[in-house]
Amino acid sequence: MAAATLVNGNASSSDWEGRYHHVDQILDRPGPRTDPSFLAGAEVKDFLRDKCKILVIGAGGLGCEILANLALSGFKDIHVIDMDTIDISNLNRQFLFRPKDVGESKANVAAKFIMNRVPGVKVSPYFGKIQDKDEDYYMQFNLIICGLDSVEARRWINATLVNMVDSDNPESLKPLIDGGTEGFKGQARVILPTVTSCYECSLDMLNKPTAFPICTIANTPRLPEHCIEWASVLEWPKVHGDKKMDTDDPEHISWLYQVAAARAKEFKIEGVTYSLTQGVVKNIIPAIASTNAIIAASCCNEAFKIATSSAAYLNNYFMLIGTDSVYSYTFEHEKRDDCPVCGGQSLSIAVNKEWTVERLIEMLVERQDIQVKKPSLSTPGKQIYFQAPPQLELATRPNLEKKVSELVPDGGEITVTATTLPFNLSLRVTYT
Amino acid sequence: MSSQESQDIEQATATIAYCPLLPPPSHLVLIFFSATASPTTKPVDMTVSSGKKPPTLNRSLILRYPPPSIWAASGQAALEACRILVVSSSATSTSILKNLVLPGIGHFSILDSAITSPADAGNNFFLNATYSLGKPRAQEAVPLLRELNESVQGEAVVKDLKLLLDTDQGRDWISSFSLVIAHNLNKDVLGQLSTLLWANSNGPPLISVRSAGFIAEFHIQYHEHCVSQSHSENAPSLRITRPFPALLALARSLDFQNMDPTAHSHIPFVIILVRATDDWRKSHNDSLPHTPAEKKEFKKNILSMRIKPDEENFEEAEAQAWRVWSEPAVPSDVQALFSLSTLPTAPHHNSTFHALLQSLSEFVKDPAGPGTLPINATLPDMKSDTKSYVQLQNLYRAQAEVEKAQFKELFAVKHPEIARTSNPEEVDSFVKNAHHIRVLRGKQWGAVDQDREAIANLLNAQPRETATHLALSALSTLLALETEVTVDALNAEVQRVVGEGVELPEELETAVGEIARAPTADLPNMAAFLGGLVAQEAIKVITEQYVPLNGYCVVDLIESWTGVIN
Ligand SMILES: [Zn+2]
Repeated sequence: MAAATLVNGNASSSDWEGRYHHVDQILDRPGPRTDPSFLAGAEVKDFLRDKCKILVIGAGGLGCEILANLALSGFKDIHVIDMDTIDISNLNRQFLFRPKDVGESKANVAAKFIMNRVPGVKVSPYFGKIQDKDEDYYMQFNLIICGLDSVEARRWINATLVNMVDSDNPESLKPLIDGGTEGFKGQARVILPTVTSCYECSLDMLNKPTAFPICTIANTPRLPEHCIEWASVLEWPKVHGDKKMDTDDPEHISWLYQVAAARAKEFKIEGVTYSLTQGVVKNIIPAIASTNAIIAASCCNEAFKIATSSAAYLNNYFMLIGTDSVYSYTFEHEKRDDCPVCGGQSLSIAVNKEWTVERLIEMLVERQDIQVKKPSLSTPGKQIYFQAPPQLELATRPNLEKKVSELVPDGGEITVTATTLPFNLSLRVTYT
Repeated sequence: MSSQESQDIEQATATIAYCPLLPPPSHLVLIFFSATASPTTKPVDMTVSSGKKPPTLNRSLILRYPPPSIWAASGQAALEACRILVVSSSATSTSILKNLVLPGIGHFSILDSAITSPADAGNNFFLNATYSLGKPRAQEAVPLLRELNESVQGEAVVKDLKLLLDTDQGRDWISSFSLVIAHNLNKDVLGQLSTLLWANSNGPPLISVRSAGFIAEFHIQYHEHCVSQSHSENAPSLRITRPFPALLALARSLDFQNMDPTAHSHIPFVIILVRATDDWRKSHNDSLPHTPAEKKEFKKNILSMRIKPDEENFEEAEAQAWRVWSEPAVPSDVQALFSLSTLPTAPHHNSTFHALLQSLSEFVKDPAGPGTLPINATLPDMKSDTKSYVQLQNLYRAQAEVEKAQFKELFAVKHPEIARTSNPEEVDSFVKNAHHIRVLRGKQWGAVDQDREAIANLLNAQPRETATHLALSALSTLLALETEVTVDALNAEVQRVVGEGVELPEELETAVGEIARAPTADLPNMAAFLGGLVAQEAIKVITEQYVPLNGYCVVDLIESWTGVIN
C-alpha cells in the first residue's frame, strides 16, 4: 500500500487488517462469469486502490451517493466536479450536506465529508463547470461517472469523450457511466465512446419536455401549469427585463407563484401551489433518496466491475420503474448509425422542395432526436442563417424567406451549430 | 475539520501526481480495436452562467425538510408516525435506514449485539472507521444516521434477537413496531421471527434481506396489503359511452354545424366523442362500434364533423376514440376484487378498505347509480379554450360530488359502524382512486421453499430468478449449519429442496458459483442498491401508496437484473 496521502478528520489514514474483507472476497478469486483477463489478488487490488483515477460529475442527489459508494469500494483517487451550491431543499436526499453547509459548494463539502468519513481516500473537488476543463484534464481518468440532471451537460461530456477517442491510443477511450432519476424511475448505463450506443444515440428516448404552446399559455390556459408558464415565460421578462430568473432563489419562485395564482384565480383554474410552481419552472419531478441510492449504486457497481474486471459489466442499459412492485429492464441499446456524435455519418433529412429556411429551422427545433434551440445553418461554401452576432444575423436574415432548395443542392450538406449543441451537426439534404 | 486539516487536503489534492495506468482490461481492448474513429468536430464551449450567489434564507418561511410531494401529505404523515425495527447494523441495514431517515420516518431501533469488526469499519459508511472498532455497532451507527434528519428518533438496542424471541416481553416489543427489517439473519432465527410475526395478523410486516456478493434477494411478509392510492398512470374512465345526464345534455345542445368557427375549434374532445357516440347509437340500434370496419367508420365520422381541415380538437377526438370501445363498465382488475374471498387473517386496519370495496361493488349494482365506478373529477388537458374547459371540468366535478355522496350514503347504510368511525379523507381518497385500487395477498417468508409444486412451476416460468432464489436459500441453510459453503454443498442443498431427480436450469450454476465465491460479502454497492430498493418498498408499505412487492425480489448485479417471484 502506498503511503497515505493525507491525514484527515478523526479517522486514521492507513488501511487496517480486514478493512476490505467484503470486497476482497470478490477480488481474490473469479466467479463463473468473470473474464479470464481478471488478475485476482494483489494486482487488481493495487490497481483499484493505488492507480485508478475516477471522475464523478455532479455532487447532488446521485453524486453524494456515488462518492460514498466509490470510497467504500476501494477507489482512492476520486475527483468531483459540480458548479452548484447547496440549497436547503437538497438536505432531504443529498446526505453529505447539513444545514450549516447551505450556500457552500457541493463539490467542496462532499469531498471533505467523504475524506473525513472514509480514511485514506483522496477526493479532489472542482467547484465549477465541466466545460471549464479541457481534453487533457479528462484524459487523466480511467473512468467517468455522471450523475447529472442536465441534458445539456450530459450531451457535452458525451460528445467530448467520443471526440477524445484516438484509435492509436487505447487509453483515450474513457468508459462513461451515466445515471439519472425521476421520482420512482431511473436508469443507469455504460457507454464505451465510439463502441457502444452513446448518450446522443438515445436522445429520442427521453421524455419529451412538456412544452406548452405559447398560444395556450397566453390565451387559453386550462391547467395550473399553464398559469405558471405564463408567469415565468411571459410575465417575468415583462416585469424584470433582463434580470435572469434563478430557479433556486425562493424569492423568485414566490414571485412566480403569486403571479400564477392570480392568473389562475382570474380564469377560475385550481391547483397552483408553491411546490407545483417550483416543479414546473425547474422542469423536474421531485427526486427521492431511495431511487437515487439504487441508480448511484448501479453506476458504482459498473465502475467497480470495469475497473477490476472482476465480473462482466452491464451491456448496456438498466432501467428501473418502482411504482408498481419492482420492475426493471436490462437491454442493449443499439448504436445509431446516423448518430450525429458517434455515428460518423451525416444525418439524412428529407426536405420539401418548397420549404423556406425558416420552416427547416422550425422542423429542426421540433425534432426529438436533435433537441436544438436557436440553430445556425451553413453549407461548406456559405452562411445560410446565423443567430449571432447581431450583424451576421442581420446579414443572413433575408435567407430565412428563401427556399432551402435555392441555397443547397440535392444531396448537399448543411452544418448546424448552436450554443446548446456541443458538436457540429451535419445534415445531408434530399428533396421531396 | 480544522482549517489546518483542510489546508492539508488542499495541498494534497493540488499535488496529485499523474499515475501511469495499467492497460485496460483485455475485453475493453478487444472491442476497442474494432471501433472506428469518430469524425465529429471539437466540442464548442457553452455559455452557461455560473457564479451563483448563495441563496438567502428565511427559516420561518421554508420547511426544513420539505416532504417530497411524490407520496402526498397523507403518506408523509404515515411515515412520520411509523416506528421501524432493523435487525443488525450491517452496511446493507444502515443503507436501508439512511433512505428511511432522510424522508423522515418517526422512529427507528437498531437491534444488534455485534461489536464493530475491522470488516465493518471498512464497508459501512455509518460507522466511524477505526474509531468504531471494538464498540457496539448499533451504538456507533445510530448517531451518524440521526444527524441526517434531526426530526427522526433513533435508538440502539445492544441485545441478541434470539434471546428476545425467547421471552414474552421481547416478543411483545418486536411486535410493537410498524415494520421489521432484517438483513443476513441466521436462518433459524429468521424462521422464528417470521413465524412470530405471521402468527399475529395485526403485527408488523417483515422484510427479510439476504445478500452474498453480487447476488441478493428480499421478501416482504404480509397477509394482505390494500392500496387505494396506487398512483397508476392509466387514465380513469371519462364515461364517454355512459355519459351522465348533464354531459349528454351539453353534447346534444351544441349546434356543431352553425356555431362560430373559433368556438367550433375549441369544443373539448370529450364533448365531440359523447356527441359522436350518441349519434352513432341513434343510427345503429343503440349499439356501439364493434367491428374494425365500424370503428374506422366511427373515426371517419368524427373527422367529417370538422368545418376546417386543421381543427386539432377533432384530431384529438379521433385519437381518443378507443375510449368508445375499450372501456368496460368496471376495469377487470377492480371487477376481480369484487369476488375476492374473505381472508380470516386480514389485518384489522384493512377493514375500512374492505367495507369500502364491498360498498363499491354495491354502488355498481345499484339501479339508482351510474352502473359503473364513481366518476373521477380530474380531467386531462385537452385542446380547448379556458371557458369550455372550465365549464366541462365543473360538470365533472359536480357529478363526482353527486356520485361520491351516493356512494357515502350506501356505505353508511351497509356499514354504519365503520362509516361513522372512518377517516373522511380515507373515504374520499378511495372514491377518487376507485379505478386503480389494489389488494395484494402475501405469503410467509420461506413458504415457497416448502412447496415443491410451486417451485417446479416457478423453475419452469422464471428459471433465472427461481434458481438464484434457491441458491440463496441454500446459502442460508449452509451458514446456519456452519457448513463450508462450496459449489457442491450449495448444489446438493438446492437439489434436496426441490426433490431428487428434478432438473435444474443452467442459471443455477452461475448463481451458485457467485455465491460460493463470496458467501458472506456485504459489498458496498450491493448494500447501497438494496438500501434503495428495500427502503422504497418499505415506504410503499408504510404510506399505503404505490404498489409494493409481493413475494421475493431477486437481484443479480453482474448482469444487472432484478426479478420478482411469488
Ligand atoms: Zn451516438
